Amino acid sequence: MAVNPYRPYLGTLVGVRDLATDIKMFQVALDGPEESAGFTYWPGQFAFVSAFGVGEAPFGLASTLDRGSVLEFAVNRVGTVTSALHRLGEGDVVGVRGPFGNWFPMDEMRDKHIILLGGGIGGAPLRPVIHTVLDHRADYGKLTILWAARLPSLLIFTDEFDDWRAAPNTALHVTVDQGDEAWTGNVGLITELLEKVAPSPENAVTITCGPPIMIKFTLLTLEKLGFARDQMFVTLEAKMKCGIGKCGRCNLGEKFVCTDGPVFSYAEISQFLESF
Amino acid sequence: MIDKIRAKARELLESGQVHCFIGYEEGTRGKVRPAFIYEPQDADRLIWDERCTYNLVTYLHQFQSAPNPRPGGVRETPPPVGILVKPCDSRSLNVLFHEEQVEREGVYVVGLTCQGVKVNGQPQARCQRCAERVPLVYDLVLGGVPKTVGREDYADVVKLEGLSPGERLAFWTKEFDRCIRCYACRQACPACYCFECVAEQLDPPWMGIAIDLPQKQFFHVMRAYHLAGRCSGCNACEEACPMGIPLSLLNRKIAREVEALFGYKAGQDAQTPPPLATFKKEEELSL
Amino acid sequence: MSAENRAQETRGQGDKETRRGTPTMSEANGTMNIATRDDVAAWLDGLSRDLTLIAPKAVEDRVLYRPVAGSAEIAFDFGKADLPAKEYFLPSTHVLFSVEKDKEGLRVEEPSLEEGRVLFGLRPCDARALRVLDALFLKEPVDPYYAERRERTTLIGLACREMGEECFCTSLGLAPDDASDVDLMLTEVGGGRQEEGKGYAVQVVTAKGEAILGNLRLREIAGALPEPAVREKTPVLEAEAWSRYFDHAFWARLADRCLSCRLCTYVCPTCRCFDVRDYETPNRGVERLQAWDSCMAENYRRIAGGHDPRPTKAQRLRNRFYCKFCYYPQDFGPIACVGCGRCIARCPVNVDVVEVLQNVATL
Repeated sequence: MAVNPYRPYLGTLVGVRDLATDIKMFQVALDGPEESAGFTYWPGQFAFVSAFGVGEAPFGLASTLDRGSVLEFAVNRVGTVTSALHRLGEGDVVGVRGPFGNWFPMDEMRDKHIILLGGGIGGAPLRPVIHTVLDHRADYGKLTILWAARLPSLLIFTDEFDDWRAAPNTALHVTVDQGDEAWTGNVGLITELLEKVAPSPENAVTITCGPPIMIKFTLLTLEKLGFARDQMFVTLEAKMKCGIGKCGRCNLGEKFVCTDGPVFSYAEISQFLESF
Repeated sequence: MIDKIRAKARELLESGQVHCFIGYEEGTRGKVRPAFIYEPQDADRLIWDERCTYNLVTYLHQFQSAPNPRPGGVRETPPPVGILVKPCDSRSLNVLFHEEQVEREGVYVVGLTCQGVKVNGQPQARCQRCAERVPLVYDLVLGGVPKTVGREDYADVVKLEGLSPGERLAFWTKEFDRCIRCYACRQACPACYCFECVAEQLDPPWMGIAIDLPQKQFFHVMRAYHLAGRCSGCNACEEACPMGIPLSLLNRKIAREVEALFGYKAGQDAQTPPPLATFKKEEELSL
Repeated sequence: MSAENRAQETRGQGDKETRRGTPTMSEANGTMNIATRDDVAAWLDGLSRDLTLIAPKAVEDRVLYRPVAGSAEIAFDFGKADLPAKEYFLPSTHVLFSVEKDKEGLRVEEPSLEEGRVLFGLRPCDARALRVLDALFLKEPVDPYYAERRERTTLIGLACREMGEECFCTSLGLAPDDASDVDLMLTEVGGGRQEEGKGYAVQVVTAKGEAILGNLRLREIAGALPEPAVREKTPVLEAEAWSRYFDHAFWARLADRCLSCRLCTYVCPTCRCFDVRDYETPNRGVERLQAWDSCMAENYRRIAGGHDPRPTKAQRLRNRFYCKFCYYPQDFGPIACVGCGRCIARCPVNVDVVEVLQNVATL
């Protein structure tokens, strides 16, 4: 058959570890040197991961090419496919289809103040942005990371916080909606934290990712702080079945999240007929 | 009679007693369709004639949440609605009242006596089998004293029962082969209101997504069993089916079994508990 | 020998050469190539020996496009098939691939695709619908399953003598006798079909159609193709203008009676939304199935965590019309509706797309 975009590559899980409650990090090495070398992707793109026998679902790529050929996905267990993935372990075979979608405008972000706002599992697609900035520190301006979750046990990549804080010209602010006995950090919504940090919109770019309600309120708060709509980017999630703009499912108006997105600017989103 | 229907609808809306009145109106191309009247002056859109075959009771489900519910929002008291029912529809209504899907106080029922309705000019077979000519539940009844009463003799079901199992399987296979799993039957049915239908459940995947004969057979037989003792014979399913599958035969076969086993017919009132949801100490259990 | 010469040889004496690709050539010449019903039947029987023949077939009181063993099974005198031929290009269910375990691990097997097929009796609206689907499925990245089915199917169209009750193809720029989307076009001539000497005018539209003409006996006669009887057109608002009415209360009122079933999308020749899911089989490994799905389904956009951008049926119904008349044309070119009217005929609650179009034009 001709090139088949519905057919996944086979990959082996070379690492599975807990990131947070019900959230695991999956590290996949694609089988076959050609497939592995040919899988080039940029921060913001996504791929479908298959738990054969149940199905596949789209996940943001949480790794960068710079740091190796192993693909990393953060998977939150919420439905049938993610539950099936959570039952797998190192050595198990999965399918990977992709990379799909557009990517963050890393080139336009050079020399700018980059503000990242990640809520819960939404932090996963922001991780490759952080890694890219850290690995090419001189190319970018200040990096401000606002990281949030409903509970401390739902914060992801906590093992990297020290690295991020230690990087030059980089600030990390963390908050949870609700603390626990051990929590000594910020308690409050990410929008409240954002108003406290109050970054300047001058020469800045923001990227927000998280649950839809968090994105909506964060964009409003950023606008209140003086950010223009074309300075604000988001990456959206939608139920998807093909990733290539065929199955018709992920449209927001005439835009498809899988091919026109998942990265959109707030300016673009404001033009959407439908709300995400 | 139509003037009385319109007048009542107008009155109910003007007084604020109902938020919406559900009836029938003229559609396109000589068809009749469900009407949702929100303003008193629109009550003149309502019609009533022998083309009004559709069972409107299924629409009561969508009024069980307040208009524009927010996802995860608190369920408020549903706004009261008025509805037009024929005797067959009133049976469905009793089923929903009993199953507490619709609150009696939340519905103003305008019942209509009925001598039968037609589809494409042909009298419906189900009307000849209908033993009720006056609705079984109503707040107001309109219409003349009925002249004739039908009787359900299950003749077509009996004929089917006379076939051998192999012939019956061949019959239903031939019918279900045309099914496209569009779920029009299920959506039109007032008694099918599960938030997540077994047919679409993913975990566990009782049925797959495949639109093939095994899944289609499973869906129809499963749905007929879920309607056992609940199907009021309104025929909305068969009317909605785009492929002309005789679904009422299947549902009435099961209704016949329920009647024979338990002496029960669905929808006669809103109080008698349906046999499949009840256990009586005196029940004979042949184990 | 060139294709042209071969065609002339097999068509018998006195036949003028029919120019490929210009369906109205014979009209311009004032002649038609006629085949009798019996000859067409015999020709189809011949084709069915080597190719799968799909044709309109009576199935209880419906007419459906089905594989037939021979011309005897064909319902020649049909109006419009109750379901479109979409099934043969976008099957309601098919296997994308299977994954089986062997000594080396997992192996992905793609299914072998169908043999050559001939689809007889395709109405121009259903043929145009395939072009509409082409704009999506043959756009990069190409859907190889769809592409292969299109490639391996020769389309024999049957022009409509008149528009049906619910038909509105002309409102969308189509014509009941439009031959542009088929490989061969047949038009009933002579009014009656059983009478001696009457039959079908045959137009060769593409080389693919030419290639299967084979020994179909054609007789050239003077005359022009009959004009189909058409109906009044409905105004269709251009795609960009639809955004003005997105938030209009009209959609919620229309949706009141919608049952949120899937009937309209499944009988529609241009609807294509699909679902994909894996199933374990007893002896074929894991199969990944693709099956029809519908934007009208209540859970269509609900993700596992519960979020749903289209929770109400008003939003879903509105999206369906916008997808067809606003989004699809902006994304892929053609309007995703060919005016076949099946949704109008079958919707149990009279959601009538023509009425919607008329309303939108005056909102």
